[in-house]
Amino acid sequence: MSLHTLMFGWEYPPRHLGGLGVACQGLVRGLINQNVKITLVLPFAADGSPDEIDILCPQEHHIQKIRVASLLLPYDSADLYAQRIQSVPHETAQIYGADLGHAVHVFTETSVEVTKHLQPDIVHAHDWMTYEAGLRSARHHDKPLVAHIHATELDRTHFHPNEWIYGRERWGFEQADHIIAVSNYTKNILVQHYGISADKISVVHNGSGEPQQGEPMRQPETTLARKKHPMVLFLGRLAIQKGPLHFLEMASMVHKHDPNVQFVVAGDGHMLPSLVNQAARLGLQDCTVFAGKVTSDEARKLYAQASCFVMPSLSEPFGLVALEAIAQGAPVILSKQSGASEVIGHAFKVDFWDTEKMADCVLTILRETPLASQLTAEAPRVLQRLTWENQAGKVVSIYNNLLRS
Amino acid sequence: MPPRICLYFQVHQPYRLRDLRITEIGKGKTMNYFDHDKNHAVFRKVAEKCYLPANRLMLSLLEQYPDFSVAYSLSGVFLDQCEEYGKDVLESFQRLAQTGRVEFLAETYYHSLSSIQDTQEFCEQTTLHIRKIEDLFGMTPTVFRNTELIYSNELAQTVRLMGFKGILAEGTDHLLQGRSANLPYTPPQFRLPHAKEMLIARHRPFSKRSDDIAVLLKNYRLSDDVAFRFSDKSWVGFPLRAETFTDWLLGGGGHSVNLFMDYETFGEHQWEDTGIFEFLRTLPRIWQERGITCATPSQVIDAWEHTEAPVYDAHTVISWADTERDLSAWQGNQIQMSALRAIHDLGPLVKATGNADLIRTWRKLQTSDHFYYMCTKYWNDGDVHKYFSPYDSPYEAYRRYSHALCDLKSRVEPKHKQRTTHSKRHPKAKS
Repeated sequence: MSLHTLMFGWEYPPRHLGGLGVACQGLVRGLINQNVKITLVLPFAADGSPDEIDILCPQEHHIQKIRVASLLLPYDSADLYAQRIQSVPHETAQIYGADLGHAVHVFTETSVEVTKHLQPDIVHAHDWMTYEAGLRSARHHDKPLVAHIHATELDRTHFHPNEWIYGRERWGFEQADHIIAVSNYTKNILVQHYGISADKISVVHNGSGEPQQGEPMRQPETTLARKKHPMVLFLGRLAIQKGPLHFLEMASMVHKHDPNVQFVVAGDGHMLPSLVNQAARLGLQDCTVFAGKVTSDEARKLYAQASCFVMPSLSEPFGLVALEAIAQGAPVILSKQSGASEVIGHAFKVDFWDTEKMADCVLTILRETPLASQLTAEAPRVLQRLTWENQAGKVVSIYNNLLRS
Repeated sequence: MPPRICLYFQVHQPYRLRDLRITEIGKGKTMNYFDHDKNHAVFRKVAEKCYLPANRLMLSLLEQYPDFSVAYSLSGVFLDQCEEYGKDVLESFQRLAQTGRVEFLAETYYHSLSSIQDTQEFCEQTTLHIRKIEDLFGMTPTVFRNTELIYSNELAQTVRLMGFKGILAEGTDHLLQGRSANLPYTPPQFRLPHAKEMLIARHRPFSKRSDDIAVLLKNYRLSDDVAFRFSDKSWVGFPLRAETFTDWLLGGGGHSVNLFMDYETFGEHQWEDTGIFEFLRTLPRIWQERGITCATPSQVIDAWEHTEAPVYDAHTVISWADTERDLSAWQGNQIQMSALRAIHDLGPLVKATGNADLIRTWRKLQTSDHFYYMCTKYWNDGDVHKYFSPYDSPYEAYRRYSHALCDLKSRVEPKHKQRTTHSKRHPKAKS
């Protein structure tokens, strides 16, 4: 008999801001391949924006999606939420709740209510906003709760958490029967900063996403073009956690040494205006392009063009972008403060604050063709091992262990 | 008569590179490439755990048992580091030499891969090493052992033409084909190309070639029982007792059992609390009781009274490294190949300067460890457990190395050539 998981998520492609939606989709597809039946509850706002999700995966009819009206968006902090709620008509704001706490409450009440008729074997909740819904549901169905942690408040805020959110996370970790962390890095944060027992946490690294579609973007001509017009890429939300300022600092050092190098900062976020100013202050205005939010196709093209991809995150639970860059053949430099650096062997790994060394690694990759070419050739091996199917298999064994005990 | 026991220990320390930066290239007054603090710290750590206690034990064994003897190969860069970081270590080796029952083998001074890269450089580094051993220990090596036991038919002939009477090699199963490793072997007879013979004749350390050369093969099973498996609790032989090991030594018969290993086996690879020193202390007593004698490599060769020896035919290059026992540990990937090519391409320019400091630094960069640290054979999925290196990763090893090379290059390239690479392009005339 196949397992039935009741899953509470909070973003799902194409409606996603960061890696969480991608990871959630990957895991769902992997679980379906493992013969797990999934009911997925998502907090999409019912504000008239497109509700239909175009699913490419043919087996996806195994998932029943239940959407709960809410204004919640991932990567929320109380401040940002307050800003957004002000731009919503007053009546709507009344309905959805004027503060984040109330919004979570609405989401929790509704999503628990609409799933009461189901008969799941296990409840699986992704990140803090769904933990209460998950727990109440697990209690109602008398089934174990798995709390999946993709990013903690400490990661998002560079260890200056909103105490309320931190408290919600901690409560969720304590209540859950088992926790899945996306890396040893995140597991350590839970142990050290949330006081959670290490025995309760399993690490399941994220999978490598889509198998490559169509022709590989990287052609021999690209390699030559890159040699002539080297481009160094940043791709991620423009938020403190992702380290865009460190990227610019590194860029200015590279620029001093080699003015031919171009920099592309792709992604959107509240830091954009200040980053543009900072780039100008560092004299990088003529060699830096702010590309804004990019589609996944555009992202793939950028990775393929890049002489080198830098992920300078201050605290990165996993960092799916690193795997995406590798899939397109970009040599990568990763922050040591990341989960991806645990699984990617063929890369440079630097402390995020050591921008001087980061710059040195970039310049070495640009100068040394055999090095760049070896990183391009060897790094993608990890993608074969780290498939969502394999990773979902690990999740299934965690389910089975829980159900046995 | 039971087989002789031939003990040889390798002693070597590389000069590890410091965290060089691209911004320093071509700017420093001196070639400050090496991590002095790290090298000092590693040397002292190994000295306290291995060199000093092991040498103390060896000295007492040599004094106590007249039939006990041992051979060492001390790399030139190790001896240089003795002068920098450990006069006490050097003196303890000199005391061992004074017993007259310790043989020192010849190798390339810089523990380099020059044997597979550059015959002249290979001869020169071997000559440098022989002179160093003569200076420090008052004896001239007659048996050669190459870096990491890298060996081939061609190398054996090269070393014979250089004047050595013996060479050490790994006794690999596929070359032995069921024969015993406990006999001296000989390489197949053939002539090297005339130009190469002449080159060797011009640069060899000795006045004349040797008529023949004996190949002593490492008995890798018995050597590795001590070097790798001694403290392995999952191994059937655990715990290994000196009596049992002696039974195994005798079991294979033959002319000599050649136990070749890193000296760091004692105290560093196998920690003191594994009982490795006690094991070593007990062996000579048991050997004496059973009438077993030790012999150094040259004694093993001299004691071989047969006119002929079986042929050890190594068409392709072998070594004692990893399970592959080939060259893949040093030239298995693009960055290693590129680094090796680059360092040897610099040779003519470096030598042309006649600057002893430049030449010495260039040679220090030839030490095989630099390339070993760039090995990615076991570097998948970031598994650091099988990666023995002072650096974070093979890529960090390459980053530091390539910076050192670039700096060295900037010092030897003719100035006009440097100018041309930065020369201004003529602006196109407007039409």
